[in-house]
Amino acid sequence: MTPQRELWQIHLKIPLDRFELSVEYTGSERALGVFGVSGSGKTTLLESIAGLRTGASGNLSFSGRNWLYAEQGVCLPTEHRRVGYVPQDYLLFPHLNVRGNLEFGKERAQQEGVAFDKIFQQVVETFELQELLERSTRRLSGGERQRVALGRALCSGAQVLLLDEPLASLDAGLKRRILPYLIRARDTFGLPMIVVSHDPVELQALCGEVLAMDAGQVIARGQPQDVFMRSDVFDTAKEQGFENVFTGKVTVLRERTMDLKLVGLEETIRVPASDAAIGDERIASLASDDILIATERPRGLSARNCLATRIERIEATGLRYLALTSVGETTFLVELTKDAIDELGLKAGLDVYLVFKTNAVSV
Amino acid sequence: MPTIYETVLSTLLWAAISCAVVAIPGVALAYVLARRSFLGKNVLSTLTTLPLVLPPTAVGYLLLRLLANDGWLGESILGIDLGILLTWKAVIIACSVMSFPLFVRTARVAIEEVEPRLESMSRSLGQGPGRTFCRVTLPLAARGLIAAALLAFTRSLGEFGATIIIAGNIPGQTQTLASALFSAQQAGNEGAANQLLWVALLVGFATVYATERLTRKGGEG
Repeated sequence: MTPQRELWQIHLKIPLDRFELSVEYTGSERALGVFGVSGSGKTTLLESIAGLRTGASGNLSFSGRNWLYAEQGVCLPTEHRRVGYVPQDYLLFPHLNVRGNLEFGKERAQQEGVAFDKIFQQVVETFELQELLERSTRRLSGGERQRVALGRALCSGAQVLLLDEPLASLDAGLKRRILPYLIRARDTFGLPMIVVSHDPVELQALCGEVLAMDAGQVIARGQPQDVFMRSDVFDTAKEQGFENVFTGKVTVLRERTMDLKLVGLEETIRVPASDAAIGDERIASLASDDILIATERPRGLSARNCLATRIERIEATGLRYLALTSVGETTFLVELTKDAIDELGLKAGLDVYLVFKTNAVSV
Repeated sequence: MPTIYETVLSTLLWAAISCAVVAIPGVALAYVLARRSFLGKNVLSTLTTLPLVLPPTAVGYLLLRLLANDGWLGESILGIDLGILLTWKAVIIACSVMSFPLFVRTARVAIEEVEPRLESMSRSLGQGPGRTFCRVTLPLAARGLIAAALLAFTRSLGEFGATIIIAGNIPGQTQTLASALFSAQQAGNEGAANQLLWVALLVGFATVYATERLTRKGGEG
């Protein structure tokens, strides 16, 4: 017997056309990310966890309850797993309006003792759906569809959220606007979630632990930043552009820029203005190769951001090198070349300045 | 002698009853053929379609053999006389058998057009297979299913070959619009034949037009 009380015990093998998907994970991370490029098997894994795919062997348990125990022929049907599955294309019911979609899982929610009216109201407020309730799902934008799909999952009395590429079909601007809704879903409703994505930014913003997958195998597991720093993962993540993700509070608003204050940091970071008010929290990201390291405070530079910090360590990832630095309570990764390290004498413990342009930050 | 009005009315009524008779088994079989894989599926599908391609008189004769005294559903096997032959019940059986394949084929396409992942989504939201069928498959296939029912209804209205063999052509009892027209034409009663022809044209046009509108989702107006 495996020890109980871990939130997830996943030991799955699923034969696919090109390879066998094989995933081992035992842990209690409430926001678990699964990273991989397209075709790495991550959606198959999510569908198997949801019970939407047959042919899996091994076992799977959530919160001490067996969902799959192939050896003994146990396979809990999907309707009894209490999952809130949100697929990439949302799959809203086209014959129902937004309210009908949100109320689709009402019966299960009530059977499970969930106060449906309360959670319905909470969902409508959190995802700002009041205006959309009577609208046909055919007349929703991409972002609205995403919010309704999330709301529908939460209203169904789900005990876990399974999100498949939650932002992949949205354009860059919309991604930034929807990401906070996902964070609200995680924080307000307190449900464990598994997020599948090929985007390191999403996973860093949402997850406490990440499994990186390649060709059906888990190749790395750990905290998002640690995973994305690994050379085998970094090169894959690099295609999306490796991004430092951080949250800050708006302190100053200007016409075209604003200042963000990071937790534990006296200085502020100047970023492009977005639709925000003073005191709002905003998620920002900054590519690791958009940051310069200077050993002295530079003068006469157009870049508006210069943060004093110290190099904690330098890691080699394939042909590239990454320096880890802490700014306040946020870790920034900076991509470096071997030449820069050698010529500037960069090493762990050295006090340096991180320099980057306002427009290098996406909010 | 019944009036044309009475003949038309009873034909419409029998067609409607036949339609109701085929609806539930028709939807069930269409669902099985659309969504399930099993050994012998193609054979079942072919058998279902058979009445569509056989001469209606052949189907009528087969039904007659089944319902005759010495048939599988006859008195000598069952021990009771079901009293079907040459009654209105025989009309309904003939109409149902002849319209069943048309209903199943149309309904099957309607169900196949429903995105199966929407059904999976419903399951993941806690709905079992039965409730998923009622809440997702049925409403999404509704247009196609109504079209299937209308086609079956039309087919029953025009049914002649099988009906005349097992129900006969008894005025006021088993005579339908089709057999009344046949009788009127045979008797040289041109006036009655013309009237029946117009009614048949009108009802047929209205039903096919409605079916077209439904299957084309009203797109072309």
